This record gives sequence, structure tokens and C-alpha cells, in this order.
Amino acid sequence: MGSMKSAAIEARALRKTYVTTRGIIRRSRVERTALRGVDLAIEPGELFGLLGPNGAGKTTMVKIFTTLLLPSSGSANILGLDAVNNPWAVRKRIGFVFGGERGLYWRLSGLDNLRYFADLYRIPPHISRKRIAELLDRLGLAGRERDKVEHYSRGMKQRLHLARGLLNDPEVLFLDEPTIGLDPVGARELRLIVRELADSGTTIFLTTHYMFEADAICDRIAVIKNGSIVAEGTPSSIKGVVENQGVVEFEVVGMPADRLAGLRGLPGVTSVVVSEHELAQVVTVQCARPADVMTQLGMLFDGLSLSRVSSREPTLEDAYVQLIGESS
Amino acid sequence: MSTLARAAFSAFRVSMRLRVVSPWAYLNWLVFPMIFAAVGLFVLSRPGAPASHLTYGVLGGGLIGYWSVAYLDGGNGIQDERWNGTLEQIFAVPTPLVVILLGKVAGSLLFGILSFIPTVALAYFGFHALLPHVDALRFAISLGVLSFTFFAIALTLTPLFALWRWAFQMLNGFELGVYVLCGFMFPVAILAPWAQLIAGALAPTWATRALYASTTTEGAHDYSTWWFAAIAVSVAYLVASYFLYRLVEKHARVSGDLALA
Repeated sequence: MGSMKSAAIEARALRKTYVTTRGIIRRSRVERTALRGVDLAIEPGELFGLLGPNGAGKTTMVKIFTTLLLPSSGSANILGLDAVNNPWAVRKRIGFVFGGERGLYWRLSGLDNLRYFADLYRIPPHISRKRIAELLDRLGLAGRERDKVEHYSRGMKQRLHLARGLLNDPEVLFLDEPTIGLDPVGARELRLIVRELADSGTTIFLTTHYMFEADAICDRIAVIKNGSIVAEGTPSSIKGVVENQGVVEFEVVGMPADRLAGLRGLPGVTSVVVSEHELAQVVTVQCARPADVMTQLGMLFDGLSLSRVSSREPTLEDAYVQLIGESS
Repeated sequence: MSTLARAAFSAFRVSMRLRVVSPWAYLNWLVFPMIFAAVGLFVLSRPGAPASHLTYGVLGGGLIGYWSVAYLDGGNGIQDERWNGTLEQIFAVPTPLVVILLGKVAGSLLFGILSFIPTVALAYFGFHALLPHVDALRFAISLGVLSFTFFAIALTLTPLFALWRWAFQMLNGFELGVYVLCGFMFPVAILAPWAQLIAGALAPTWATRALYASTTTEGAHDYSTWWFAAIAVSVAYLVASYFLYRLVEKHARVSGDLALA
């Protein structure tokens, strides 16, 4: 963790508990803790990635930093400003982009959306006109700015989101799953833009499900699980979690539960993940000694059709799976 | 123009643009007021009915439309923002929510007042009904005061829609109650005494009374008292709204209710 004094984004003992009610006649109070005392410090100009499964607390953290939510306890500071008690000062200096197609006025043109938010960000017109033109050009929306947003492709909508998030030339930009739902080309373009922004000095806080995305562009990442940070460091240091391990992958049709349990019980196996691929299941096994596991497969899956058995080096995703402890 | 004034004007402009392309907006300012006006005119223009009653037919439908758009469009607008995912976006900008809603409510008022065009036209062309003794100056002032009362109520209650999704259903009933209690279609004097007490606490009651008085020579014409009552009660709403906005801004950040999910 870097120096606390110079952090662009800082959380200390950040905790958030949502209180809701359940039932219609007999209402009962339900508490759900989304963040459990998170400590985090992100240096200026850093591109920081937060990884975690659905419901781990990623969006809650982004919303606290962007002043949309109050924490139950702890502190959140942006550029040395208190995001809890001084939201107005923070809002002027940050931008944020939430993933997905919502968050825009579809019946207005892209240009009208940007003009509206420029006014809400209280940017003087002579500055906003120039800024909007630059952003439209930079994000590849020039020429389509007068079209209604409802006629935009998903990638264009996401680039418009990003343009909106950059209107006030923010020192800190929060991106909550910005490439979700984008096609590979669109996602790659967006990642390039994000990397360029970080290279030009903008501090970026990115949440994502995509390990390769974090691996490719983030300077540093953290993995969050059930509201707690379980790992933090550079992508290569996170991969170190599975440094002495290998990965065996194979396809099998029809996976009996007892064979899966047997696979999990093999010595050195730390994680088994099964995903569906057409009619077959793709089994990914993390283990200390891949060669041993491969020799055992023949016996363990006797009578079943095994195909595409391979061994490879672990990736960030493998490290993530081990950290999160997801296995199915 | 200050950046805050520009933000309010921008909110006004965007709300107008969104209304122009929304079919629901036309129902509120055009179709529903016409229905109310047609029913009112049919009942109140029967032979033998006092001339003063006919004014309720001529203006009543327009008043209902004006109120509906001014009041409910704010709530509809907030619900739309929630569905569009833009409610969080406008909450997290450096412009206070009250400034954005001020622009939106101003847009509602302008759109709502259009309701008088079809309803008065219906009265004139369909029922040959006119306002026979209009005191133009007092009518204009009363309409201005009435607009201020609608503005105050809408600005005060709209943040509730942002905070609680159920508020929209609850406050739908308030819309209908105001039709009756504020005397849009008939004099408040014919209501039960307890209902008149409630009506007195509603600012539009006093402005509506002044508005109708300015169209007839019958009855009392205590304009200054009615205008003052309407403005005083509205100011009380606005004072209450100051605390309400602070509550909304804090509670929304505690509950996270601005998002749909």
C-alpha cells in the first residue's frame, strides 16, 4: 500500500451495511453487509482494478467514492477531500461511468446528452463546447453526435458514457464494468482509451469481471470477496498466488458428481471449475503437479469420453479463482 | 448567466424536449383535460344553471390538466430517470438536486398551462360557453399566484419520488384529492366543514377561488386576502421543502434507492 498522504483515492475501515425490510404484513428488518472494513490507497495516475464476483461489494465501493452512497462507518477520501461529508467538492473533480446501456437519455441526441451534463457539471459554455468537440472526436462519435442515442450501437453508447464521464476533465475517473456487453473490438478500443487516459495522468479506478482486461491494462489490482479485500498487488504478483501450480483442462460429456468429487480429492488439486461448452463440460483443474493429475484422469474418468486434455501455465483468472474459492 | 441558473435552464430545456416526444405527456395536457372539461361543461351548461357555474365548466378541465401536469409530471419524470438509470447520474453532479428539479418543474408548469388551450376551445366551439365577466388583470394575477402554488407543491413533493418508489402510488391519490378539495370543478363552499378545513391548508384553494372570482361579478371578491393566503401557504411549503431536500439527499445516500436494482 502506498503513502496515505499522497493517495488519490483512499478508504479506511470502509464498511457498508444495507438495511431493508422483508414481508408485507409482518415486516422484518434485514441487514446485508456489502463492505467489511476495506482499506485501500491508490496513487495519483494509477490505473487500479478491482476484481470480484457479483455481490462482492465492487459497485458499493464505487458508489461510496462517487458520493452516491454513505458508508456505515470508516472514511473515503478522494484527492484528500472527504467523500462522505464534502460531496460537492469531490463531485467537481471526479468522473464516473457505470457499465450497461442505461444512464443516458435515449430520446435525445448524443450531443444533447453531453451538453446537458456539461451544464449540470457547471462547465462554462465556451469551455464545454470545445471539450465536447474534443471528446466526440477522441471517442469516435464525431459525425453521429446529432443522432438520437436510441440509434447508437452498444459500443457507441458506452463511448458516449465515457465522454460524459470525461466532460469535467476529471482528475479521478471511476469505471464500473465499462466493457460489459461490448463486442471484442469495442471492448478493446475502450481499453485502449482507458489506458491512454491513465498514461496522461488521470487516476482510474476500474471494476471488472474480465481478468484479461485487468491483466492487460491495470497497474495494480485488488480482489474483493464478500466485502473484504483478499489480495492486492500488481497483476504479476497476484498471479504469484498460483506460482507453483499448473492448470489441466479437458472436456468431458456427462460429468457424474462422484467422479468430480474424486477429482477434487486428488493430492495437490486446489481448485476445480466446470463450465458448460455446447453438450460437453469443460473442466479446469488447478493443481500442484499437473503431470500427476493427467495420469490419474484416465482411471478417474474410465468409461467417459475425454477430449482436448491439455496443460498450461496459470493465468490471472486462475489466481482469481483460487482467491475467490469458487468451485463448482 | 450563473452556472447554477444555466443548469436549471438546461434541466428545463431537456424536460421540455423529452415531453415533446412522449405520448404520455399529450394524454396529460390534451386528452384527459378535454374529457374532464367535456363532462363538466355537459353537466354545468344545462338550461337554468347559474352563469357562475358555467365558469367551472370552462376553466375546470384546464385547471385539472394544469395541476396534473405540473404535479404529476415531476413524479413521472423522476420515475423515468430511475428507469433510464439517469437518476444517479443527475444526483452525483455538482449541481444540487433542487436546482435540477426547479428546471424540471418549470417545464411542467409551462407544459401544463397548455391544458387551457384545448379546454377553453372546447367550451367555446363545442358549448358556446365563455367567461362573461372576466377582470383580465385580476385573472392574470390569480393565474400567476395559482402557478406559484403549483410550483411550490411540485417542488416540495417531487424529491419524495426520488427517495421512495411507493411515494408515486401514494401521491397519485393526492392528485385526485386536490381536484375536489381545491375547488377546480365546483366551489369549496359546498364541501363538508371538515373538508373545507383541509382545503384551507392547500395553497391552490385560495388561488382558485380568486381565479373564479375574477370571472364573475357574483359573490365576494376579497382578492388580496386570497392571494396572500395562497402565497403564504406556498412559502410554508417551500420552507418545508428545504428540510425535505436535505433529508432526501442524505437518505438517498444511505439507502442507495436512486438505482433501479
